[in-house]
Amino acid sequence: MSIKIDIPSYLQSFTNNQEIIEVKGNTVGECLAQLIKQFAGMRKMLFTKDNRLHGYVSIYINGEDAYPNELARPVKDKDKIMILYIIGGG
Amino acid sequence: MLTEDERQRYDRQIMIRGIGEEGQEKLKRARVVIAGSGGLGSPVAIYLTAAGVGTLRLIDHDTVELSNLNRQVLHWDKDIGRNKVDSASEKLRQLNPGTKIESIRETITDANVKRLVAGFDLIVDAMDNLPTRYLLNRAAIEGNIPFFHGAVYGLEGRAMTVIPGKSACLRCIYRAPIPQEKFPVIGVTPATIGCIQATEVIKYITGIGKLLINRLLAFDGLNLKFTELTVRKDPDCEHCGHLRQEDEK
Repeated sequence: MSIKIDIPSYLQSFTNNQEIIEVKGNTVGECLAQLIKQFAGMRKMLFTKDNRLHGYVSIYINGEDAYPNELARPVKDKDKIMILYIIGGG
Repeated sequence: MLTEDERQRYDRQIMIRGIGEEGQEKLKRARVVIAGSGGLGSPVAIYLTAAGVGTLRLIDHDTVELSNLNRQVLHWDKDIGRNKVDSASEKLRQLNPGTKIESIRETITDANVKRLVAGFDLIVDAMDNLPTRYLLNRAAIEGNIPFFHGAVYGLEGRAMTVIPGKSACLRCIYRAPIPQEKFPVIGVTPATIGCIQATEVIKYITGIGKLLINRLLAFDGLNLKFTELTVRKDPDCEHCGHLRQEDEK
């Protein structure tokens, strides 16, 4: 069971500049927990103090928006999770 | 009807299958609001003017600063201190006198947004902050006006087209505010995204191609990668959720 998490470039400083992190898990929440286990700095970038995803973080599974209840979404072997931050610059 | 000068000016794009003289006439009749005359607004305005869009309304409350010039290519060194809409209009009128440019130097607010977009066919979101993007998105939904979103940060960008009532809107996919901050950016990023927005506008007006609806395009300039993400209308969206309910009646 291997899930790939695609890290956006502005968060790659928290993953030793790695773009793809492979984790194991049955749900998005489990996979993100594995990610944070490897890279503790990602916690505050993804989650609020009460362990909810920040509102400005979007999760896509194989290119599809996982909203709502993103963390409970099941994932299977070879799935790809993409983390996207809202951006507003122009 | 196109004039002989117009036939010459737009000859190469009239040759594009699906545009033709009929498409060019549609461009000539089109009235487009460009909200923001900065990094995104510059390429959007340049390419829509060059393409022969009939009327552009530029809205921006800002003045040109030295730190704008790395990316806001309608503004030059001599323009520092001028109103952005005046600086932009001057160049656009020289580029194509056939395009009517309206300059509005106002801050877009909840109180004036409907008035600012009233009577226009399309809205291009070339803003630099999320709260104003939300105001424009809501006005587009309420006015049933197609909305062309673009945003940048550093070497990353996003683009999406919203057709009210038919596709996900900005609020469906962006559900929270982001902290206001000075964002990093280099000119090539808004140039890329602004050109994509202008492409979408031209396609919509001329009725060709497949629009970026229910598709969020994410541009990663660092790795030169475009990723297409599938998005959906949120039935609980505070801006367009009611339209979905009406569709389902």
